[in-house]
Amino acid sequence: CGGQSTDGLGMGGEPIESFTAEQIYGRAEFEMNRRKYERAAEYFGEVERLYPYSEWAKRALIMQAFAYHNDKDYENSRSAAQRYIDFYPTDDDAAYAQYLLALSYYDQIDEVGRDQGLTFQALQSLRTVIERYPESDYARSSILKFDLAFDHLASKEMEIGRYYLKRKHYTAAINRFRVVVEDFQTTTHTAEALHRLVESYVSLGLTDEAQTAGAILGYNFQSTEWYEDSYNLLTGQGLEMKMFGDNWLSKIYRQMINGKWL
Amino acid sequence: PDMAFSQSYRFNSVQVDGNARIETGTILSYAGIARGQSVSAAELNDAYQRIVASGLFETVEIVPRGGTLVINVVEYPTVNRIRFEGNRRLKDDALSAIVQQQPRLVFSPTKAEQDAAAIAQAYAEQGRLSARVTPRIIRRSDNRVDLVFEIFEGRNSEINRIGIVGNNVYSDRRLRRVLESKQAGLLRQLIRRDTFVEDRLQFDQQVLRDFYLSRGYIDFRTTAVNSELARERDGYFITFNVQEGQQFKFGNVTVVSEYPEADAAVYESVLKLRPGVVYSPSLVENAIARMETLALREGLDFLRVEPQITRNDRDLTLDVEFVLTKGPRIFVERIDVEGNTTTLDRVVRNQFRVVEGDPFNPRQIREAAERIRALGFFENAAVNAREGSSPDQVVVDVDVQEKPTGSLSFGGTYSTNSGFGLAVSFSETNFLGRGQAVQLTLSGASSNRTYGLQFREPAFLGRDVTFDFDLGYSETETDNAPYDTNGGRFGLGLTFPLAERSRLNLRYTLEMSEMVTAVANPVTGNVVQADIAQGRVWANSLGYSYTYDSRTSGLDPNKGFLFEFGQDYAGLGGNTSYIKTEARAVAQTRILNEEVTLRASVRGAMLNYTKGRSRTIDRFALLEDDIRGFTPDGIGPRDISNGANTALGGNMVAVASFEAEFPLGLPEEYGISGGAFYDISSVWDVGASTGIPGANVIGNNMSARHVIGLSIFWDTPIGPLRFNFSKALRKQSFDDEQVFNLSIRSEF
Amino acid sequence: CAERIRNHGYVPTDDDLSQITVGVDTRDTVEEVLGAPSTSGVADASGFYYVRSQFRHFAYLEPKEINRELVAVTFDGDGVVQNIERYGLEDGQTVVLSRRVTTNEGDGDGILQQLLRSLGNFVPSTL
Repeated sequence: CGGQSTDGLGMGGEPIESFTAEQIYGRAEFEMNRRKYERAAEYFGEVERLYPYSEWAKRALIMQAFAYHNDKDYENSRSAAQRYIDFYPTDDDAAYAQYLLALSYYDQIDEVGRDQGLTFQALQSLRTVIERYPESDYARSSILKFDLAFDHLASKEMEIGRYYLKRKHYTAAINRFRVVVEDFQTTTHTAEALHRLVESYVSLGLTDEAQTAGAILGYNFQSTEWYEDSYNLLTGQGLEMKMFGDNWLSKIYRQMINGKWL
Repeated sequence: PDMAFSQSYRFNSVQVDGNARIETGTILSYAGIARGQSVSAAELNDAYQRIVASGLFETVEIVPRGGTLVINVVEYPTVNRIRFEGNRRLKDDALSAIVQQQPRLVFSPTKAEQDAAAIAQAYAEQGRLSARVTPRIIRRSDNRVDLVFEIFEGRNSEINRIGIVGNNVYSDRRLRRVLESKQAGLLRQLIRRDTFVEDRLQFDQQVLRDFYLSRGYIDFRTTAVNSELARERDGYFITFNVQEGQQFKFGNVTVVSEYPEADAAVYESVLKLRPGVVYSPSLVENAIARMETLALREGLDFLRVEPQITRNDRDLTLDVEFVLTKGPRIFVERIDVEGNTTTLDRVVRNQFRVVEGDPFNPRQIREAAERIRALGFFENAAVNAREGSSPDQVVVDVDVQEKPTGSLSFGGTYSTNSGFGLAVSFSETNFLGRGQAVQLTLSGASSNRTYGLQFREPAFLGRDVTFDFDLGYSETETDNAPYDTNGGRFGLGLTFPLAERSRLNLRYTLEMSEMVTAVANPVTGNVVQADIAQGRVWANSLGYSYTYDSRTSGLDPNKGFLFEFGQDYAGLGGNTSYIKTEARAVAQTRILNEEVTLRASVRGAMLNYTKGRSRTIDRFALLEDDIRGFTPDGIGPRDISNGANTALGGNMVAVASFEAEFPLGLPEEYGISGGAFYDISSVWDVGASTGIPGANVIGNNMSARHVIGLSIFWDTPIGPLRFNFSKALRKQSFDDEQVFNLSIRSEF
Repeated sequence: CAERIRNHGYVPTDDDLSQITVGVDTRDTVEEVLGAPSTSGVADASGFYYVRSQFRHFAYLEPKEINRELVAVTFDGDGVVQNIERYGLEDGQTVVLSRRVTTNEGDGDGILQQLLRSLGNFVPSTL
């Protein structure tokens, strides 16, 4: 059930060369509306190949990037968007092409436990959209996505920090949480990072460092539960061992079945 | 373009002509000259360079005409289509992967030349040195071109003969077996490596040098390699001129410690180097590995072992002095895992014994990389260290590439008597990326109905403890036995390390098993009938098994030793009670320069019942791998009452096997090697079953069967196969011989 | 069955430490003589902490920290060494870690999607 290749055989069986750019573009748009994105992308590609100098070629190129993106074929979407940026850098659609390029990385980021290599690439391309086309409306949604990707990176650091904290490797944990506090202040993880620092310093017996971390937490994140936990910990009434549901069976259920960290 | 420049210009308008596809705005953005801005000669030249650098234009010309700046350009045509003509050996898509020029991109003559050269190089690597590639352009409408690469592949130039001059210790034939390049022999079409390839000759020199070096000839040199083209230009004669020098042995081997806390005598005891042994770099490397691992175990940070070798030519010996020094103080700053699109970070990080902030020890990082690859979740896992934020800190980068780890198979069966049966089996070795293994089988096939769920968590509660869960029920019709078996099983197990190389497994199992008369209702002996009469038997057992495996972190990769001992105590409340004991020991070593593998293995098992009697399905039966030369159940006690002849298995089993694996001299590409084996095996003692009225049991004594044989190993894409041809030396008259069998080759 | 000891972290040796004089050395000279600190504090003026701990791995038990040396080099306002103190395991306090995690449940793949994504493995042994 391979897709019907569009090279040579165009609409109604005649060779595609005999159609004008506008007709092929129209057919591609028809395929787009039918949500046949891969076929649409191939038709847009034909417009660009047969009539590279026509006005249609430019619009076909950006539509091709968009079609591949909808088809989740991020590789081709990136190469089409990159071609558009190379040929028409000053065009108003260039901002959209750059944005599509950034989206192709961003949409592949998923659950926090996974690959952070993609997150870096997404951040870089989102930053180019924000810096090169600041006033375009893509810049605004890029900023939003940039913060989300940035938050994603911070949660990766936190996850590794907790990994070491649970295994009592306090210096490794502290260094990871310090990275979050110093490089990722704008993310939602800073409060937890500060509390984990309090937990780690108290475990090492460095009470004054714990106080400084707790003070920063209190100053910036007074209303969070993290501050409450730190406050209790620093004033000596830490969490009791026997919290509800903390017997070893529920611990096995949480960690083995649910995949929780503690 | 001649450009006369006065000191500086001011333009109020810029005019671009000659561009068709590229927008004027684009060219202006490359030029970077704003209106009304005063421009010096240098800036004009920069603008010119930038436009040329865009690679989009054949020619660029900047002509200042009074107040307006005129830029006229001629665009390169766009590539419409790329075709290859005359290529038979390399297919089109292989070539288009090499070529930079792509349809829809701008055509550039320099790139086309580079692509032609790249294709010629690809052919050279295949040994077709006389291949010629010429790019051709066909003009199309609308300033487009078709790019055609005309390829003349030329004849395949082979190596007709390889000669070696100056070698008197090792014969030409022995050395030719070591070389990568081969002489074109009968199978010239099949073997690739008889084609003449330049860089393979370099590699051959290196291989020759290693061959001699590892046999103590430290002065070995290849003085010259010359290759003459045969007169008919279809092949080459290659001669290696070598100087072997003398063979050196180890002189006295000493250890000196410049590391305060390290005591040289302790390290000297770990050494396995004795004077008089033929020198070889790998022996020195092994010694260093042993000492550095000992330092690791004693917690001496940054200890490095440097060998200092002094030669004394008089008695051809090398004195080796190992100096224990304090290496540079470098720490692991971060461990970053990338590429893990499915696997969770903690699963990879668990394989590291090093923690961020620890002293950097390359050997530990290599061991961790091995463990990550052993997980089996990744196509490849590259672990390398690069400098971190300061010179004495290192970041360890782990780049992994995931591979599919789940398999799902559906099957349907239809048989006239039992109608439709659905068979679903799902197995995943990296469930949800957590490193857990899950196996679910639901098969309602008419003859064998099995339902099973197995689950394994290798890092139970984040510790180095493996948790196993096993639940299953099955009804099977064994084809070579006159009875069917139904059985259910529920098991829990914990496995954890006891010492550096030994692990202990504790387990609880609840089993139900039942023998029923077969559907085909064949004639059965009285013993089997008595077994069937027992109906459902429950067994509730606790067990342990201890495993010592020297290979996990053993120092010498060539030698390996495994010892396993386990017992199961059944009887807490079940209607039978017995103790099942199983033991296994395997030793393996590689000799003759790691080409030949010798393996000796011994296995024994024993069942003693304290309440109730063992039935045929409880007793041990010898599987195919244990007794080559006989059919499964081919040997052992039999009940021949009522004219039946059914194997009963035995409460006692003993198997010993001695094997050797060796290369057959065929090129590695085929993946074929040979082997020989000698097995001694016996199964006996049906316990109380001899007392069953009407039973007529033969072969209940411990007479050992001896089998010798040869095997062929073949690594095929579907898995490593093993063909065994065996001959029984001593057997019982009623044993079932089997001369040939095929099985999947298993590592011990 | 033997317990296995594993060492982590690094603490400078005594004669390294003897080269540091309070009131004279600054952050840079300390880092040069003693090496990079295992960790430091959050604020700028915080000290250098060198930590070395020993863990005992035994059978199925959770690895237990049995020994810890911590050398703290604290600095005054303008970065000159103020004091060198030593802490041990007993100074630390066992802390019950809070289980809460900041998650912004993105649209991560559902369980089924993850399972389907990694199908395609061929297991010869099931032949």
